[in-house]
Amino acid sequence: MAEAAMPQRQAAGPLATDAHDRGHGLAPQLVDGPIDVEMLRRQVAADTAGAVVVFVGTTRRATGDVITERLEYEAHRPLAIACLGRLQDEALQRFSLEGCGIVHRLGVVEVGEASVAVVVASQHRAAAFAATAWLMDRLKTSVPVWKREHTANAKPCWVHGEERPGL
Amino acid sequence: MLGVRQPRFSCIPDGFLMDGRPLTIMLFAGVAECVGQREVELAWQGGTAAELRGQLRDRYPAAASLLDRSAIAVGERYCRDEDQVPPEADVAVIPPVSGG
Repeated sequence: MAEAAMPQRQAAGPLATDAHDRGHGLAPQLVDGPIDVEMLRRQVAADTAGAVVVFVGTTRRATGDVITERLEYEAHRPLAIACLGRLQDEALQRFSLEGCGIVHRLGVVEVGEASVAVVVASQHRAAAFAATAWLMDRLKTSVPVWKREHTANAKPCWVHGEERPGL
Repeated sequence: MLGVRQPRFSCIPDGFLMDGRPLTIMLFAGVAECVGQREVELAWQGGTAAELRGQLRDRYPAAASLLDRSAIAVGERYCRDEDQVPPEADVAVIPPVSGG
């Protein structure tokens, strides 16, 4: 199955032209290379915020006895961007955030590398922690991104849960 | 020739009817792997998302279990089972996600 040719991008950003087109939320991004977490943090941080939470999801080497060699991600890109945008908008309102940004990497993500970064800024830390957890929970059940696990002793396998996605 | 179904010719791909363009459906991840294609075409005069899923399930029984757990998306929105999927919509099958 041939992958559609996708424009290659390096690290996330800079986002000078569209960085604040979602109110306090940066335009969500899907990137084909390493995520620049520090740049994302700088873009989300705001003078009005007393707390900035940075969450980075990475490829874990071992899950029980299974040794992961690498993960490979694909997405329905337009739907994923739309879903991430709706999640950000809801988080901004629900938790009264000062800022929010999400970047998900696609393609091969080696062990220890970041597959996703979520940065949330709020006046106080409780809202930032809660919003980060809320965003990740929903991202993992509703945003059309899939991982394929490459392990040491088995054929590569797409990871699918039981729950039908929806948003 | 609205409402008139024309005979199917052997040179026309499965699912292609002469009285309308086939619906192209994007597949992803395990569903694409199971079916062996990134896109499939289905003769579609319109109907609900549940009916569309049912047709795909009948045509690709090897993917039935995953299709049962998959959502149908039109454009940049997920459909509910009862939502209408119009002919010529931009349709995708979205199996359970695993990002993050």
